[in-house]
Amino acid sequence: MSNITLDTIRKEFGSGQDSIVAVEDIDLEIRDGEFLVLVGPSGCGKTTTLRCIAGLEDVTSGRITFGDKDVTGLRARERDVAMVFQNYALYPHMDVRRNLGFGLKLSTKLPAAEIDQQVEEVAEMLGIEELLGQKPKELSGGQQQRVALGRAIIRDPEAFLMDEPLSNLDAKLRSQMRTELQTLQHDLDVTTVYVTHDQTEAMAMGDRIAVMNHGTLQQVGTAEEVYRDPVNEFVADFIGSPSINVFDATVDGARLDGPGAFTYHLSETAPVERLDTVRVGIRPEDITLVDDGIELGVNVLEPMGNENFLYATLGHQEVTARISPTNRPQPGRSVSFAVDEAALYLFDPETGDSLKTKRDGEVPSGPDSIPNREGVQSDVGTGAGTGSSTDPIEETIE
Amino acid sequence: MREETRREAVWQFLTYGFILLGAVVTLVPLYWIFVASTLKESEFLSSTDPRLLPGDSFLGNFGALHARENVQFVGRVGEMTQYVDLGPVYIAYDFWNLWNMGAIESSIFVAGIYTVLSLLLCSMAGFAFAKYEFRFKQPIFYAILATLILPIQLLVIPLFLLMSQIGLTNSYWAIILPWLANPLGIFLMRQNMRSIPDALLESARMDGATEFQLYYKIALPTMKSSLAALSIILFLFQWNLFLFPLVILDQGKYTIPVAINQLVGAQRVYYDQIMVAATLSIIPIFVLFLFLQKQFVSGILAGSVKE
Amino acid sequence: MATRDSLPGPDPSVRDRLRFARQSVGELVPTPGEGIVGYVFLLPAFVLFGVFLAFPIIYTFYLSFFRFNGVGNDTLLWIETGFFEYKLTSIADLEFVGLANYTAMFSDSLFHQALFNTTFILVVQVPLMIALALLFAVALDASFVRLRGVFRTVLALPVSANLVAYSTVFLLMMQDAGLVNYVLTAVGLPAIPWLTSSFWSRMTIVGAVTWRWTGYNMIILLAGLQNIPQQLYEAAEIDGATRIQKFRYVTVPQLRPVLLFVFVTSTIGTFKLFSEPVIINGGGAPLDSTITIVQYIYQAAFIDFRLGYASALTYVLIAVVSVLSAIQLNVGGESDA
Repeated sequence: MSNITLDTIRKEFGSGQDSIVAVEDIDLEIRDGEFLVLVGPSGCGKTTTLRCIAGLEDVTSGRITFGDKDVTGLRARERDVAMVFQNYALYPHMDVRRNLGFGLKLSTKLPAAEIDQQVEEVAEMLGIEELLGQKPKELSGGQQQRVALGRAIIRDPEAFLMDEPLSNLDAKLRSQMRTELQTLQHDLDVTTVYVTHDQTEAMAMGDRIAVMNHGTLQQVGTAEEVYRDPVNEFVADFIGSPSINVFDATVDGARLDGPGAFTYHLSETAPVERLDTVRVGIRPEDITLVDDGIELGVNVLEPMGNENFLYATLGHQEVTARISPTNRPQPGRSVSFAVDEAALYLFDPETGDSLKTKRDGEVPSGPDSIPNREGVQSDVGTGAGTGSSTDPIEETIE
Repeated sequence: MREETRREAVWQFLTYGFILLGAVVTLVPLYWIFVASTLKESEFLSSTDPRLLPGDSFLGNFGALHARENVQFVGRVGEMTQYVDLGPVYIAYDFWNLWNMGAIESSIFVAGIYTVLSLLLCSMAGFAFAKYEFRFKQPIFYAILATLILPIQLLVIPLFLLMSQIGLTNSYWAIILPWLANPLGIFLMRQNMRSIPDALLESARMDGATEFQLYYKIALPTMKSSLAALSIILFLFQWNLFLFPLVILDQGKYTIPVAINQLVGAQRVYYDQIMVAATLSIIPIFVLFLFLQKQFVSGILAGSVKE
Repeated sequence: MATRDSLPGPDPSVRDRLRFARQSVGELVPTPGEGIVGYVFLLPAFVLFGVFLAFPIIYTFYLSFFRFNGVGNDTLLWIETGFFEYKLTSIADLEFVGLANYTAMFSDSLFHQALFNTTFILVVQVPLMIALALLFAVALDASFVRLRGVFRTVLALPVSANLVAYSTVFLLMMQDAGLVNYVLTAVGLPAIPWLTSSFWSRMTIVGAVTWRWTGYNMIILLAGLQNIPQQLYEAAEIDGATRIQKFRYVTVPQLRPVLLFVFVTSTIGTFKLFSEPVIINGGGAPLDSTITIVQYIYQAAFIDFRLGYASALTYVLIAVVSVLSAIQLNVGGESDA
């Protein structure tokens, strides 16, 4: 078990003019025993990155190291990793027992009795000991998934690599497996890289989240960091459900003018100093309904039980808000809201970089938020709450 | 990566070498048929110096083949036996005799008719099995399926007797009819027709179509590619039939296999003529194959896909 | 719909009128009921099947217990009206001999020889051909897509060759003075008496049949190979499998049903061998060493005119083929319908 380092990884498919760059310039360090989630929309390169770590794809340039061993040139079978595929990829003609033992049989010199014993142990750990004699096609989706997991666990590898393993399960099973996976990983303490497109899943699992888009790493940090302090508009929009509300506003000194009746007076104007327009972001839960605030036209009200989702319009802009369950504005009517300046997000209208994020009222020093940074670089002492993010994480050195 | 790429390269080399070897071995006989047909027998049947390049005796060999009395490979113009004499000009109207069919024409003619008719029959039967319910459907289908295992050529004995009774010996129908209801064809058609959405047929029914129209206007057009594949299977089947035609056909109505057999078993074997015959039999189909590869391949695969 | 039958506008064209006529004729034909329609479609095929396939199967069995004495002449049925006459004569003149035909087989040495030849070819040719087909399929599977198409076409060409025609080429090539011997002597090996030695003449047939059918089987195996999900190979790679191990643990098991199919069909095909031995034998190969079962049946039936005996032989052959197929299916297959 060791940490995994990706150093300026680039993966191109095809060659010459038709080449597609799937992964570009990724620098990532995954700590020993960490559960890292790679998340992003379809086609962002997360699965490709995972496959590069696995060795199923060769990188076009860059280096991958496990601990201090350079594995870039090694084939998958020489890297001592285990992978759980989205479709489980169980060997259909072998029963569960042989599926589990297969990896050991091939890559170690353990005697058959020893292998059997380990198979039994892992099966017990996952609760599938009764299925050992059955073939994969006789098992349910959830059971197959456990077998796939078992196959990975039994190898005791340097790292677990998981490619959307839960996406083929139904919702209930999925959340159940989610917690099981986390407990398992915690107990086994194996470095894990987990790929998913579901940001809720990413937020729930994972010590850290790495958000990718268009082949590049947007941000790496804990769930909280990524949520409260996104590095750019993409991350802010991708993380969080319902999505953050973002719209354009003109800047006039300290005053922002947005769609509809939106006017806001900033107390801290540093972020928007040199700009004429800015993108304003407000998370749905930060919209508070007040009597005398900015006017919203109510469209739809979705009662969720513990809260209500309000879909409204601010001029031409659609806005989503999470409000208390007792508040039930009628569609067609108007309400008004207010938002705390501390909760306001500001993004550069051209680059999308965040100019101001929610950090307990703290404002970072100037527009120096660079994409691809890891965690929060704060030389400003942070206030309460953003605990673990203060560990400065070593940048990988070229 | 150095180590890896070198091993990879070795494997690649071996793989491609192997394939190349196979291709060469495959092509040599075909090339040889063609070459031998253009040479005089003495030229290629020499253990010390066979010529490997095409010669110029093709026409000569062909002429010799054509001139043989007992085997007519390619047809000749026949005698016009019925005509109306209008003085300066006469009009023949017994067209059947205009062209005495040789073996090649016979084979093409027979295989063509067989293919068309069998396609019709098999598709209808396949349609019935796929889309309709009727009593005894299962047993009948299994019965038809069972005959697939049997080498159907072995049932020629009763066929021969039957044909003698009906008086169909030495007629083309004798070899067309027996396997018109081709079990393989019926099986394939059924398999393929099952994929026609029932909803399509239902809505056509509601629009007022008759059952036959369902077959003709919906099922058949949808099955175009399967029909193409099947027609190749059927054509080749009939084209290659040897045993039964050997039994039942007589002079004047030989198909290619029987004709060639005559050449080989003759008193004096003229290999150059035989090669001409072989070339004429094989080359057209090759050309067809090259153009219709996809259909050929799907025809081959059609029989093997398990559901 | 009444108002729709006569719309204002241009008069119906000729084509339209034909269509109307066709449709009204169609309406006259009674729509058959639910269970009947299927039969209607099936009818022509079924009739032909019954007469030409089902009947012969049964009749062959029946015949095997008789001795054939000539084409039938006895009138079975005679209908005569003023201007119409129909006479149904019996098909054959038969004499009941019980199991005599079957027992005769035991002492028929030529039959035994034919059996031996066919088995020899089966045992040598089928595994050889399937192994080759598999190797080619694997090789093609690993090649670039473009080359794959070309080579697949080339290797599959023999399939389209006429059986009899291609046999003649082999006959020619294997002559003592033929191409193959020329090549052999050119590289220093001795010339082989392909057509005169009993062993080598069988090998000639093995060679010819292999040449003809390897491409065919290769296509089927290739399709099977390409159906194997890539992820299984990846999982195996991650589990530590080498190339050969992947072949053994992923490829072969996944190919099993296809391999089985190919084995069974090739076996059945071997027992049907007729064209090749006839031609090659006709060109001088010793009859005894190359005669196959079907060839022998042909000889018994249509040269010796011992139809009863030939029928019995046919049935024995059918039995052997069925048993072999059943064994292969049992041994080779897992039970999935």
